[in-house]
Parts: sequence; structure tokens; C-alpha cells
Amino acid sequence: MSTATLSHAGTHDHHDSHETSGWKKYLWSLDHKVIGLQYLFSSLLFLFLGGGLALLLRWQLAFPSTQVMPDGAVGNPLSLAFINPQFYNALFTMHATVMVFLVVMPVLIGAFGNYLIPLKIGCGDMAFPLINELSYWVWLASGLIMLAGFFVAGGAAAAGWTAYAPLSTVGAYNASSTGQSLWAVGLFINGLASIMGAFNYITTIVNMRAPGMGFFRMPLAVWALFITAFLLLLAVPVLSAASAMLVLDLNFGTNFFNPAQGGQPLLWQHLFWFFGHPEVYIMILPAMGMVSDILSVNSRKPVFGYRAMVYAMIAIGLLGFVVWGHHMFVSGMNLVLSAAFGVSTMVIAVPSAIKTFNWLGTIWGGAIRFNTAMLNALAFVAMFVIGGFSGIFMASTPVNIFVHHTYFIVAHFHYVLFGGSIFAMFAAIYFWYPKMFGRLMNETLGKIHFALTFVFFNLCFFPMHNVGLGGMMRRIADPTVYEHLRALQPINQFITLSAIALGFSQIVFLYNFFRSLRHGQPAGQNPWEATTLEWTVGSPPGHGNFAVTPTVYRGAYEYSVPGHAKDFVLQTEPPEPDSPAGVPAKFRPVPAG
Amino acid sequence: MFRTKAGALAWISALWASGSTGWAEIRETGVWWLPRNVSNFGHEIDFIFYVILWLTGITAVLVFGTMIYFMVRYRQRAGVGAIHSHGNNTLEIVWTTIPVFIFLALAIYGNEMWARMRMEVPPADALQVAIVGEQFGWNLRYPGPDGKLAKMDSHKITKDNPFGIDPADPDGKDDFTTYNDMVIPVGKAVRLHLGSKDVIHSFYVPEFRLYQDMVPGRVYDFVWFKTDATGHFQLACNQLCGQGHYKMFGKLGVVTPAEYDAWAKGKAPAAVTTSTAAAPENVSVANR
Repeated sequence: MSTATLSHAGTHDHHDSHETSGWKKYLWSLDHKVIGLQYLFSSLLFLFLGGGLALLLRWQLAFPSTQVMPDGAVGNPLSLAFINPQFYNALFTMHATVMVFLVVMPVLIGAFGNYLIPLKIGCGDMAFPLINELSYWVWLASGLIMLAGFFVAGGAAAAGWTAYAPLSTVGAYNASSTGQSLWAVGLFINGLASIMGAFNYITTIVNMRAPGMGFFRMPLAVWALFITAFLLLLAVPVLSAASAMLVLDLNFGTNFFNPAQGGQPLLWQHLFWFFGHPEVYIMILPAMGMVSDILSVNSRKPVFGYRAMVYAMIAIGLLGFVVWGHHMFVSGMNLVLSAAFGVSTMVIAVPSAIKTFNWLGTIWGGAIRFNTAMLNALAFVAMFVIGGFSGIFMASTPVNIFVHHTYFIVAHFHYVLFGGSIFAMFAAIYFWYPKMFGRLMNETLGKIHFALTFVFFNLCFFPMHNVGLGGMMRRIADPTVYEHLRALQPINQFITLSAIALGFSQIVFLYNFFRSLRHGQPAGQNPWEATTLEWTVGSPPGHGNFAVTPTVYRGAYEYSVPGHAKDFVLQTEPPEPDSPAGVPAKFRPVPAG
Repeated sequence: MFRTKAGALAWISALWASGSTGWAEIRETGVWWLPRNVSNFGHEIDFIFYVILWLTGITAVLVFGTMIYFMVRYRQRAGVGAIHSHGNNTLEIVWTTIPVFIFLALAIYGNEMWARMRMEVPPADALQVAIVGEQFGWNLRYPGPDGKLAKMDSHKITKDNPFGIDPADPDGKDDFTTYNDMVIPVGKAVRLHLGSKDVIHSFYVPEFRLYQDMVPGRVYDFVWFKTDATGHFQLACNQLCGQGHYKMFGKLGVVTPAEYDAWAKGKAPAAVTTSTAAAPENVSVANR
């Protein structure tokens, strides 16, 4: 049975003996594709939950329940009375926690990492399928533990997602000791899931590539996930250790971070940001990789500077471990250290610039198809550029003295995380949906969803730069308390209305996503005419992915190769006898017999 | 939802009005941009801010211009194929080298300024002001006629001794304290001694372009500045410090030296153990 005949219908003929059947398949399957979809559906659920928290906190900022009105009454007439300042603190703490640990990481790494790595490198499953499934359930449990904080006395954690000690480590200071403990325990368990996933990905990519799939023939999405897995493996254990110390300080009388007993509050910040800055790249590298692939396919052109792109990602991975101090320029740590971190931070902007230029090079001279996936990928590039620019302001130590902890940085990281990671997530969903479910999503609805999201995203987050420069602090429950912020209140209300519109625009996406499961146009094996291995098997691929292990003869981006009838050449297509792009001997298939 | 466009507009304007009516303060600088700037280092920070703004602004126009041009010029058209190109090493070297120099220049220039603001010894004649944050207010301590402030020791900071001073310290005998009320003379260097009683707070005054965390267990004495205009501002805590964080602010007046002297003369010397004049809702959770 050749790979070409493994069509959608064929998936049911080709049962591996290990495939779980029926409803059990979706609860306890060891198939990487099912695990990927488990991650996808759960984290989409968390996405709407996290978005709901964001809308509540935006509502409070526009119409504070504590606002003293001109007539002396307390509470804006439009305010929601249940949002008191402590609950507001819990809202932004949990919004960030949900979005970072339960949405962006699991979507990019859990869902797409699981789904795509084996399919793109040409193997049947992950190296450790059982650990893979375990990591999903452990991850889900961690999310439920953190969210359980909303239902305990004192409410959910309210010390910010950065949980600076000693606010987070002394119950008398944070007034939500139980919620804070659940948060830290959840984070510890979440870290276990990340570590299990990371060494699984590394083992799989190192050992299970199909014959001919050299490292430099891997698609950039795989490279990105490979580098990300190393970052996870090195950074996450530090956070796990720190959160364990936080639980001990909070409940068991240790004093790691409590200065009143000789502890060191800055230790928490160093541990947190030693994880936290690689984490920033953990959340953007997979997005960069997938966007590179989508830009290339839809421009019908090879990725411009493939090796430069790989080296840039490796550079980001390495430098990502020596820039954490830029979160602490004004924390009171050693001033010379701040200056040193300022230099490394400026230097890490270089590989990001290289990637941007190469993305432009990729669309240069292309034959660009503006489908929904491509529009989202282009938006990723544009929004990432804006997020990168605002980062330069904060990397400059003197400017940081002014803009640190203002809405300027809130604008910055939303441009990187929403404008970057979430647009990449949408691009990846529209692009790989036909592979996952065998049907295409509706393009018209997709474009409407894209246009609404793009417009309202910018209306919501761009003015945050302005209110930040205007002196608005982050994490304050009521800006109208401050004389210098009252005049900015109309802008805050505008941002809130835009945020609501942004949230409701996602209904179009949900409708399209679920409607297309049954009513989408059948996709066939390779709807985008792409070159990589996942497009050589049915949609969705059967259990075990490949009927016979594929052999790879060329790089991942052979588009518009002169002299070919079609404008793409599959990685599995053997070279023509007279092709100058001959295959090195070690990658040639062994002749039968 | 709305029968007419006017209905929708009326609703939106009602939303806006509900939050913004009655606030007489019109910012002198408009609502979309930087607030007033009244400190010496603030002007330098604004200068490098504008350098980066121009640099990124011009680059943004070039990058987005190129991107939009490519998107239009290279859209898919019948009969027109894509170029086959895997890249260009010369270009890679060029667009790696140029950003390296630009970013290094920015880092070096910024650090030179950082060193001047933070690592040079503040002027000897500077007015010394001790500021200790607590949930949720500001303890301030000013030197009396002798111009000397009692020495602060972060290890001695307690609920009753917010500034961590030695009762026997002769420099502290004539010091006076205030709560949530900071007054400084215009044109004179001011050196801050920053500390905290409980959690991390931060000293933030946008009009000074100044932010500094105050970590408990430490006293920071490297922050100093000089103002060049009088005015009334607010000092805000800009590091999440608990449920009352949002209203942890104090009055900040930059006044003429004569006004400052008159204000300081009216203050009685403080005992070592100061009972803070906090309003009940300003008493910290930990102190209740």
C-alpha cells in the first residue's frame, strides 16, 4: 500500500493493533494526533476563559466600582459591583496565568508540537507515547488546580503572574494565601507536564527522523519546536523549584524570600525571570517556525535564508538565557549588572531582526495566495515587528526607568503574545485544520474573522502605548484615583469597548471551526500544494501516520523549482537522474535486494 | 440592538460621559502623549526616547512599506510564477551587521546615561529625604535644621521604627516626618533613601520620568534628581503591593525654596517611633 492511497477512507482499513477504539480514543489514546487535538480543544476552552477574565478586568478599568463620581457617589453607574480591588488583582493574575500556561504554551507546543512533529519528520508516533498522554492529563490537572483558587476563601492568587515575594509568600500581605498556594502547586505540576513533553520531543526529533530527513531538511516548524524543547527543559525546572519554595514559605515556615527572617526577595525575581525570559521565547519560537512554513507555502517560494533562520533561532535560544535581568533594571539589583543585561538585551534583538528580514525575503518575488492562513501569518510578522520595536524602548536602561511597569509594557507584550503568538495560532489552525479534520474551514468566514480580529486587536492594544507613556501604571484597580490619569479615562473606555469587540469577533471563528467539522469542503490529501511529509498522507492521517516509512530526498521548501511541471516538489519525490541537486550517498535509499 | 445610528452613538457617548464628566483637570500636554517633564534626568530620558522613536519609526515605515509593496506586487496572478530563490548570503551578512552596530550603539549610549544617573555620587549639598513604603502609604523623613538625616539601617526597620534608625543617632534628633506628603524645593538636588516595611513598593513619578523599586530588607540611596519647575504632582506606588495598591499615592509638591523653608519650619521633630498619621483605610493588612 503506497502512501498515496492512504486516503481519508483508507484510515479505517489501516488499523494498527494499538489503536484505541470508540470514545476511549479521545480520552486515553496514545496517538500523538489525538493528544494534539486534546491539547487543542482544551486550550481553546481556556482561551475563552482567559479572554473572559480580560474583559472583566477591562470593564473595571473603564467603569471602576470604586470610582468617586463628581456627585460624591462611589462606583461608576456602569460598574460591576462584584469587582472589588482584591478580585481585580485576582483577575489580572489569573488572566496572565491562564493565557501563558493554559493557552499559548499548550496550543503552540502541546497541540501543534504533538500533531506536527511525527508527521513532519516521517515517523509513526512520539518516542514515548504513554508519557505523552500522561503529560496532557497532568497539564489539564494543573490548570484545574490553579483555577480552583476562584472557589476558595480569599479567592484566587492575586499577586500578579510574576508573584513577587514577599507579597506572594506572606498570607498577611496578599490576603489570598490558599489561592496563592493552589497557584504555586498548579505551576509546579504544570512544569512536570512541560518537562515530560520537552524530552519526548527532543528524543523523537533526534532519533526518529525518516531516512534522508537530515537536520537541515527539517521544516522550520520542527526546528523551532526542537529548540523550544531545549529551552523548556532548561528553564522550567527553575520555575518548579521556585514555586516549591514559594509554597514552603507560604505554608511551612521557611523564609527563602522573607527579608524579615533573613530571606531574599530578589532571589524570587532572579529565579522567576531565569525561567521567565526563556519562557518569552518558548511562546514565540514555535509561532515563528510555523509562520515561516505558512509564508513559504503561500508565497510558492522557498524560505529565504533557511540556514540563517535556523541559526537565528539557535541564537535566540542561547541568548534567551542571559537577558533575564532586563526585567529587573529598576528592581534595585546591582547597577552594573543592569547595564550588562542592557547590552545582552539589545543584542538579542538582532536575531529577531534577521528573521523579519528573511520573512520579507520569503514573500519577495513570490506568487502570494491571500488565504486566511496567509493573512494571519502576515499579521504575525507585522505585529511582531511592532512588539519588537516597543521592546527596544524598554531594553534601553534609561527609558526603562520611565516606562517600566506602565501600560507601555502591557501594550508591548500583548503585541508579541496576541499579535504574535495568537495570530500565529490562528494561522496554524486555518492551515492545518484540513489535515486534522479532513475538511477546509470556510474562507469567507475566515477572512471576516481575520479582519475583525486585526482591526479590534490594534484598536484595543495600540492606545495602551499612549496611556502608558501618559504615566498609567499597570495592575491598578482604579485609574480615576490618580489626578494625572483621570484625563486618560476616555482612552481607557475606548480600549475596553475595543476589547469587547475583539472578544465577540471570536464567535465567528468558533462558528467556522465547529461548522466546518461537518460541512467544510473536503480537503483531500494536500489542499495547499505543500511539500512536507504531512501532506503526503491522508487527511486526517491514519493511526501510525505512514503506511511505509517515507524516504526524504530534498529540503522542505522546494517551491517553483525551474523545470518542474508543478510549482512544488514533495520531499519524498526522488531526484531526476540528471538533477544537479543530487542526494548525498548516505541519504540515498538502499536498493531492494 | 439600536434602531438608529444616532441611538448607538448616544449610548456610546453616555458610556464615555459616565466615566469622564466632571474631571476638570485638562493635562497641559494632552492625553495622548508624555506628561510634563520637570526633572534634569527626565529631559535626558526623553531625548533618548525620541532617538529610539525616530529610529524605530523610520524603520517601521521602511519595513511596512516594503511588506505592503511586496504583497501588492507579488500577489498571485494567472500565468506569473514565483522566483526560485533560497536566499542571499551577502544580504544576510548586511542585515545582521547593521542591526548589531545600531543596537550596540544604543546599548552603549544608554548605559553611559544610566551610569551618570545611577552610579555617580549624588551632589553633597543634596536635600536628603527618606521614604519608606508600607501597605498602603508612604512614610517620609526630612532632615531638620542640621541638614542631616539619621542613618537608616534596613535590618532595624520594624512596624514601630519604619526608618530603621538608631534612637541615639544625634543626626536624627531634629528630623521630622510626614505621611503621604512630599514637598521638595525646586532647583535643588534631592537624594532619596528608599526602603520598605513589608512588601516591594515602588517610587514612581511620571513627571520626573522616575521609577525605583523599594525592596524590603534593603535601603537604596543612589536615586537623585533635580527639578526645574514648580507644580503639584502625585507620587504613586507602581509595584503591585496588595489589595490597596491602587490607592497608594501621596501628594508631591515642587515648591520655591522659600515655600519649602516655611513648610519645613512648621514641622515638629519626630520621635524615633513614629505613629503614622494614617487614615484607617490606609492601615496595612499586616498591622491590623
